[in-house]
Amino acid sequence: MSELPRSGVDERTDTHPDRPVLEPAVAEPPRRRAMPGWARPSVWLPPLVAFAVLAVAWQLYAVHNPFVIPTLGKIFHELASRPGFYFRNALTTLKEALVGAAFGMGIAFLLAVVMSYVRIVERAVLPLAVILNVTPVIAVAPALVVAFGFGPTPKYIITAVLVFFPFLINSLIGLRSADPLALDVLRTLHASRTEILWRLRLPSSLPFLCAGARICVPLSLIGAVVAEFVAAGQTNGLGTLIVTAASLSDLPTIYASVAVLAVMGIVLFVLVVLVQRRLLAWHSSATLTK
Amino acid sequence: MEPVVSVPSGQSGSALVIDGVYKGYGSGTARVSVIENVSLQAPRGQFVTLIGPSGCGKTTLLRIVAGLLEVDRGTVSIFGESVQRASAAKHIGLVPQSPALLPWRTVLDNVRLPLQVNKKPDSDGSRSHADPVAVLESFGLGDVVGRRPAQLSGGMQHRVAIARAFVFDPPVLLMDEPFAAVDELTREMLRHELLSIWQRNKKTVLFVTHSIAEAITLSDVVVIMSAHPGTIQSVIPIGLPRPRDDLVETTEEFHELERRVRLELRDSWRGAR
Repeated sequence: MSELPRSGVDERTDTHPDRPVLEPAVAEPPRRRAMPGWARPSVWLPPLVAFAVLAVAWQLYAVHNPFVIPTLGKIFHELASRPGFYFRNALTTLKEALVGAAFGMGIAFLLAVVMSYVRIVERAVLPLAVILNVTPVIAVAPALVVAFGFGPTPKYIITAVLVFFPFLINSLIGLRSADPLALDVLRTLHASRTEILWRLRLPSSLPFLCAGARICVPLSLIGAVVAEFVAAGQTNGLGTLIVTAASLSDLPTIYASVAVLAVMGIVLFVLVVLVQRRLLAWHSSATLTK
Repeated sequence: MEPVVSVPSGQSGSALVIDGVYKGYGSGTARVSVIENVSLQAPRGQFVTLIGPSGCGKTTLLRIVAGLLEVDRGTVSIFGESVQRASAAKHIGLVPQSPALLPWRTVLDNVRLPLQVNKKPDSDGSRSHADPVAVLESFGLGDVVGRRPAQLSGGMQHRVAIARAFVFDPPVLLMDEPFAAVDELTREMLRHELLSIWQRNKKTVLFVTHSIAEAITLSDVVVIMSAHPGTIQSVIPIGLPRPRDDLVETTEEFHELERRVRLELRDSWRGAR
């Protein structure tokens, strides 16, 4: 057996599809591949141009219509004049978003595990979850303020409810995505349901959980801001700040808050992608996010 | 009831007894019978191959023996015990149609998987397990223990899947067309590797295939099934001397057996229409 050819390894490491085999290595033209992907102008130039065009258009419009949007200079000045103030407000909103997302996603995931264990729970709960999903939860926000006061609790609840459904569905599909033949192997070994959950279903669901997190984490920021709009009355938070500034027609403050929210969204998304790449190094989707 | 088809053997004691098994799907008038009155015995250490047209219930029968499906009627026993008890005692190894490796685990961790689940039967220390690394080395996979399945060729992934079934040393091995998805050359190579491994470490094997050459090269007994519903049509003992090697396929006896199996399969195919 040992003298049989070991297929696979050698073929794979020796293959250079872009280089003719007979060509001597010295004659090889200098390769552009030496430059990392992101450093190539064809990668960074188009978005930069698009960004610049948008900025110029914004600026031109703002100069002529100062009561519609503020100029970029005014927004920047507003941010630079009180960075600590924006930082504190951002922290409040971030906390609401993350606590709400953690609760919503955590409960959704645990429920999905229970549902994948016990079919009858799925039948009972899924219609309720769908109803919850199609209900505009924002409409309940004033009632939540009545019930829980002006503190952070109603914001946690709204954010949690907002991320609950997408994460529940992703978790359910993920837990069911296990390879049926691998499941057969484990069943033949008389593996317990917990062992199957732990060794097969959970790892199989990771790509779906990560996809869910990429939807839910940015969504939680929306949830927190909107909750602050509706259940305002707290002194802190970017959503509260926006509502207050709007009542004073303070456009630079509004857009400065929006800019901070955009940066928060980008940072959260990048963090999720980094965690995903670490968790899913084995998965083919990991290469797609690079 | 048809008489039990007794598989000829020089050894005593049946490892696997399938007795009058019926299996169907659906209910009422929509009920489709997949297997009817299938009986089969395999002594310890025998290599039995199921071959037949698509839809003859080969895979269904294998899944019943694996404990993945319940029978409607009849019994299956492994070393005199029910399939459930044999499975609980980790007496059954399954090699499915695709390697079904866990992509997040390395080759070594994939092969360790059977040792990590259902640990109870091992706790009394009555069974000794092979060292996973040694098993992988015996399968020519010693250089790739740290790789992930996606970094291996299709043939190597199948070898890992077979190593995974060998590592906990189950006395009964069930293989459901394990090489169906690989190219012809790799398939031949895997066939001869399996032959040499099995000859060193004789397990009772129930093997499902569509390949006549594969069936004859590997088996002690070829069971030909006919379809609609799936029944055993004939049992052909393969008397080719052991140990066999890849040259066995060039012998006169091999071609004679091949012709016989092919004729039987033609009958079974005609019967299916």
